[in-house]
Amino acid sequence: MHEISLKFSIMVTTLVLAAMLAAAWLADIDREYDSRARLLPDQVMTLFSDPKPLTAFALTDDRNRVFDLESLKGKWSFLFFGFTHCPDVCPTTLAELARARDNIAKNTVGAEDIQVVFISVDPNRDTASKLRQYVDYFDPTFVGVTGDNAQIGNLAGQLGATYQVAITPGTENYPVYHSTAVFLVDPRARYHAVFTPPHDAEAISKRFKVMRELEEAT
Amino acid sequence: MRWRHPVFVCLISALALVPAAGKAAGVSVRDAWIRETPPGMTVMAGYMELRNNTSRPQVLVAASSSGFESVMIHRTIVRNGMAGMVHLSQIELAPNASLIFAPGGNHLMLMNPEQTLRAGDAVVIKLEFRGGLVLPVAFEVRK
Repeated sequence: MHEISLKFSIMVTTLVLAAMLAAAWLADIDREYDSRARLLPDQVMTLFSDPKPLTAFALTDDRNRVFDLESLKGKWSFLFFGFTHCPDVCPTTLAELARARDNIAKNTVGAEDIQVVFISVDPNRDTASKLRQYVDYFDPTFVGVTGDNAQIGNLAGQLGATYQVAITPGTENYPVYHSTAVFLVDPRARYHAVFTPPHDAEAISKRFKVMRELEEAT
Repeated sequence: MRWRHPVFVCLISALALVPAAGKAAGVSVRDAWIRETPPGMTVMAGYMELRNNTSRPQVLVAASSSGFESVMIHRTIVRNGMAGMVHLSQIELAPNASLIFAPGGNHLMLMNPEQTLRAGDAVVIKLEFRGGLVLPVAFEVRK
């Protein structure tokens, strides 16, 4: 009887200790990951734990100015690859991004440090002036960017964006295929997160708000 | 001749009621709209909700409009993470079911509008079904 009770108490003590250790360990994990965990897992946004620094690229903006790695520094940049002759996906996405930017602008922190960049993968048809007119319609703060194929490919490759332009000689209407994701680059020009479609302005602005708070806290 | 002229708006609104009220026609259309585009753009997309009120399949085989050079049935598809469009020669509506044309999916691809269309304008697009049914539907231009 005495032996059983001793065994029992050892067992109970061991279990209690194990439970306490487990609780302490979980609490620690929780403290470390709580804020990030609030954003993951997610159908809207994938946040990278180890943002990848982007390397040099050279594109041109819709006012014929250089748009390069420096243009991404000091701001949060929302990047979307598309083309202006796109009737469905591009206007839908840009309209949502314009609403998302409005939401962010209404926040106390504001939208001074964010830029939305529309990168045309169709430089053949999308000249600087066409791009300016196009993005201006959605939001005058948006920036249209394009360049030669090698440089578009350079930036796209770094973000894992894909596209394909099926230029057919003699026709103005050729198909263009492009990624539907919106890529988020942080103020240190690192690939920080990706938003996956269907894009929704509220979902994007809410997550961006939480994420920016997190970044400022660390 | 502007479509936004009040007389046209009335006429178009009256036309819009035809398919909406026309259950006898077999197919009804709701929420037909065209996304306004940035200035100078010549490619637009039209969206709607089609409803087949019959117990037989109905097949949309063509669409046309005097407001556009061409109207095609398209679908946005995403393959390997890339979006592209495919042209559909026809699209079937299951019996007693709805078929949605919405952003990111089925849409009417509208090429080269006859005039600049702004939010609030309306354009009639004729939907042609197998068997001869033709529905004139007023699409509202929205921002």
